[in-house]
Amino acid sequence: MTRHHPESLTLMEYSAGNLSEPRALCIRLHLEQCPECRGRVDTLDSLGAVMMDQQPKVSVSDTSFEQLMARIDEAPEDTSPVAEAPKVSPLQKLLGQDINDLPWKRQLGDVSVLDITDKFPGQHDRVVLQKLVAGGKAPAHTHKGDETTVILQGAFSDQNGVFNQWDFVSLDEHDEHRPVAVGNEDCITLSVLSAPVKLTGTFTRLLNPFIR
Amino acid sequence: MIAIKRSTHATVKERPVTTLDQKPAKAEGRKDPWGVLLEKVGKHQDRAAYQALFEHFAPQIKYYAISNGIANHAEELVQEVFISIWRRSCLYDWRKAAASTWIFTIARNQRIDMLRKLQRRNAEMAVETEDLWQIPGENEDEPVTSLHRLMSERRIRESLGQLPEEQITVIAKVYMEHKSHQMVADELGIPLGTVKSRVRLALNKLKVILQDQNV
Repeated sequence: MTRHHPESLTLMEYSAGNLSEPRALCIRLHLEQCPECRGRVDTLDSLGAVMMDQQPKVSVSDTSFEQLMARIDEAPEDTSPVAEAPKVSPLQKLLGQDINDLPWKRQLGDVSVLDITDKFPGQHDRVVLQKLVAGGKAPAHTHKGDETTVILQGAFSDQNGVFNQWDFVSLDEHDEHRPVAVGNEDCITLSVLSAPVKLTGTFTRLLNPFIR
Repeated sequence: MIAIKRSTHATVKERPVTTLDQKPAKAEGRKDPWGVLLEKVGKHQDRAAYQALFEHFAPQIKYYAISNGIANHAEELVQEVFISIWRRSCLYDWRKAAASTWIFTIARNQRIDMLRKLQRRNAEMAVETEDLWQIPGENEDEPVTSLHRLMSERRIRESLGQLPEEQITVIAKVYMEHKSHQMVADELGIPLGTVKSRVRLALNKLKVILQDQNV
């Protein structure tokens, strides 16, 4: 199945803070540009607040508030009001440079990849950037379950339609598709995959959404 | 209620919004008491207002920590959440989020941070929790406010009362125990599909599901 927005169930796991960092990044990048999904996350955050309110309460220690005030009085430099941070895209912060200038590795034909899993230490998802050159075609391929993809630049089309910048793409093993990068820009995507249990052979699997 | 209309991302950058200026009296009436206290903390470092917030929310946050499996760090999480409230309250804008929603997102982010710290992988990550999980109202440049957003908490409280217990149980496990849908299914001994359909029914009632996903 293909979609342009994340599923509501996934947004709920995001709002609850239960997604891994790379999956949360995909959601955050989509939310920056999608007012409808932002509205849904706002509602889900309120659901979280109401759940917290309706659950049992546990008294804090008698000195808890005093400790808090002591900390504020004794370490004003660590507890002073924060200034609003300048708005920097989390992607920019993560990569430190323009996505077009990354050390892309040509994989096959029109497709290049870059594995950025090591930017997210201590978690088990595999994180991959992929690039399909403008006008380029990826070979026909299928997918395996449990992956999240967001389009960072450009657009691609397949038999299900056109997927634009910041769209979400969910594909599973039933989908065979042959994407073509449309428009004047290279199409760049960010994909998060559950890490394979075991890698066999010399060659690592090629990754979707373009190729597996 | 504001209908959410489907549109392409490329053309629409604005959220469904309503200017508050047109109805100031009505909008002012929606200012919640906790929001008033938060503003006092943000503007004047008002300690009495801060203490009132602490007395109300600290026991909720302590339970949140315990149910999330970090009972040994529950008092510490309460402290960290309230330090963060003290520091960020100057950024709080009552038009952008109800106070309890804002506090929930801070508690959630501090819980994520604490787990990162406990796993000793805090310093290695180039992005911070706030880069991935936004606090509502921060770094948002819209001059206008979504009325939809302000209304949502009241609406959820009302809708939640009409949901069957089995749906609330599943949602509580996701929010309070940071369990995936699969973990909830395993714990309750029911199929994953059943968990998902309970959540979908609930989110449908709470009007979170987009209309085009609901047909």
